[in-house]
Amino acid sequence: MPDTDTLIQHYLEGTLTNAEAEELHELLQTQPELGERLLQHFDMDAMLRATKPLVADNIIRPALVPKRRFTFATVTSVAAMAACITLLGTWLMNAALDLRPEAEETTASVAVLTRGVNLEWDSAAITPGTPLSPGWLKLRSGIAQIEFYQGARVLIEGPAELQLVSSGEATCTRGKLSAQVPPQAKGFRINTPKGSIVDLGTEFGLDVSAANEEVHVFKGEVELHQPAVMMKSLKEGQAMAIAGNTAVLTANASSFASLNEIDARSAMSQRFQFEKWLASSSKLNADAALRLRFDFQDDEGSRSLRNHAVNGGQIEDGSIVGASCTTGRWPGKRALEFRNVSDRVRLNIPGETKSLTMAVWVRVNGLDRSFNSLFMSESWGDRKVHWQITRDGKVRLGIAGSNGAHHADHDTPVFFTPERFGRWTHLAVVFDPFTKEVRHYANGELLTRSLLKDTEALKIGMAELGNWNDRRNSGGVAIRHLSGAMDEFALWDRALSDAEIATLVK
Amino acid sequence: MNTHETQAAQVFLAHHDFVRGVALKYAPWPGLMEDIAQQVFLEFMAKESQWDLSTDARPLLATMTRHIAMRQWRERTRQQPEVVQKLADHIRLLAEEREAPPRYEEEISVLRNCLQKLPEKSRELVELYYYNDISTPQIADQIRMKADTVCRALSRVREKLRECIERSTNQGGPAHA
Repeated sequence: MPDTDTLIQHYLEGTLTNAEAEELHELLQTQPELGERLLQHFDMDAMLRATKPLVADNIIRPALVPKRRFTFATVTSVAAMAACITLLGTWLMNAALDLRPEAEETTASVAVLTRGVNLEWDSAAITPGTPLSPGWLKLRSGIAQIEFYQGARVLIEGPAELQLVSSGEATCTRGKLSAQVPPQAKGFRINTPKGSIVDLGTEFGLDVSAANEEVHVFKGEVELHQPAVMMKSLKEGQAMAIAGNTAVLTANASSFASLNEIDARSAMSQRFQFEKWLASSSKLNADAALRLRFDFQDDEGSRSLRNHAVNGGQIEDGSIVGASCTTGRWPGKRALEFRNVSDRVRLNIPGETKSLTMAVWVRVNGLDRSFNSLFMSESWGDRKVHWQITRDGKVRLGIAGSNGAHHADHDTPVFFTPERFGRWTHLAVVFDPFTKEVRHYANGELLTRSLLKDTEALKIGMAELGNWNDRRNSGGVAIRHLSGAMDEFALWDRALSDAEIATLVK
Repeated sequence: MNTHETQAAQVFLAHHDFVRGVALKYAPWPGLMEDIAQQVFLEFMAKESQWDLSTDARPLLATMTRHIAMRQWRERTRQQPEVVQKLADHIRLLAEEREAPPRYEEEISVLRNCLQKLPEKSRELVELYYYNDISTPQIADQIRMKADTVCRALSRVREKLRECIERSTNQGGPAHA
């Protein structure tokens, strides 16, 4: 008869014979301690199985789709058998060379929204820096600049509807656009309801309305393709209706938005937002519950961050270690870049706080470590607070238990996917003992709320922005610095409401 | 999805590990946990308009999970030979009588760190068995070892991981220490 370990394994694997089941049952009756051991193996077995999708794919939603059991099982077992030899070869190779293939992340994006002025969308709202996947963009008003991965640069003026097809193709059903197509993107194609324009390395404009469709060539040459009509070639300075009267007209560049125009309007819009932010800062600083606010607008040479909270008396300025100055959300707005293991801002929040809200504007460049610090109490234990991002992209508020009690982690679902890297994001977290919940927000919207079992006051103490210092550890300290930048951080000793958090982003 | 459906899905996702923990307690049968969690998700979403999402969802999810776990456990085990059914009954009673509450939620995040600390060979074994779905006899066959040896090796790996989790949580969790 197999030993106990093997019996437990057969139970977990679902391969117990009747004799083995009988033997295991008898052992469980005669050896009470074996029951706990078996359950521990069972729990661990289940957890290990649950880590599988995390390794292959960090998104857990697919696991919630009802399984196609037979198809899936058949496919995986056949695939497993087929892969067996390869895997064992890899196993032996890996043992010798320590080469372990990692599951590569993928993206479906084909273009990126690089700039925008006064954007209002009928489709899902997007902001500059957003990678774009194939699908419809419906712009109600404003001007958006889109750069296709193949190299073409397109300006669309709202109202407009554009469907991204691939990194070298789009369909415009309404509105005005102008395209700049460098030689690398030659062959870039724009479809319209009545035809297609294939660019041969040039600049052109397209105006699509219900009544008419016109193409205007500003530089170079384009090909005009229509169903059942011979291809036409349009040269610099020429324009033509895509259907109907096909007389050659004179191109009119002034009726289309130009890159210069978006440059000017985008600079003006950014300046306006920056000034609006400056004007609202004094009101924010005067909030009676605001204990700490860094706006990162300190002199470039300064190695400290001034606490602007009017009522933040006890909290002194933050001290910058390592981190360097960079550009923030707008030209002229300063931010602090965290790159190295040493980079951090040291500060001290003395005393206890019954409620807490923290908010930060952060640009995450990547999640290179298991834990990527936003704001971390020094060390750990006794109601200290760790606000951080996990390697798999969840935002986490960890709160230590007091007197050795177990800690609690409050996580969001996966939020930081690679598409969000490199973009300014507003994060906020609220510790609310009255509603007994922790709430996480991103860009002003509630991400998740979770139950707060222990509402005891928090004791932040010495803390760091963008890094963590484990004072207890005399040996090596875990590396948890942020790879990214921050350009505003605030902390209140009250729980802000959903509406107040949304206002911070506006 | 409308806003309430989206919120309901978010609430479930935020409690996914909690549901799994409850499922493990009430249905200690191999491979059943994910099926239960899926079913809870489907039933939770089917009735989402009835739920007040501003309140703590745990009591509701715990009740739903318990009922679904019991139902699925019964369906699964009654297909088994009588001797296996008796064993399953015994193990379920042991799980229910366990005093400690499910710690799945806390432990799953710690486990991922512990996996990184495993020796190379142990990690490879976990990958083959758990991630590539290769059975212990198949692994044994390919590496010319006895199947019992592979079973014992897997058992040791799980015990090492358990020790690592205990160590980490006693120190305040690897998320923090």
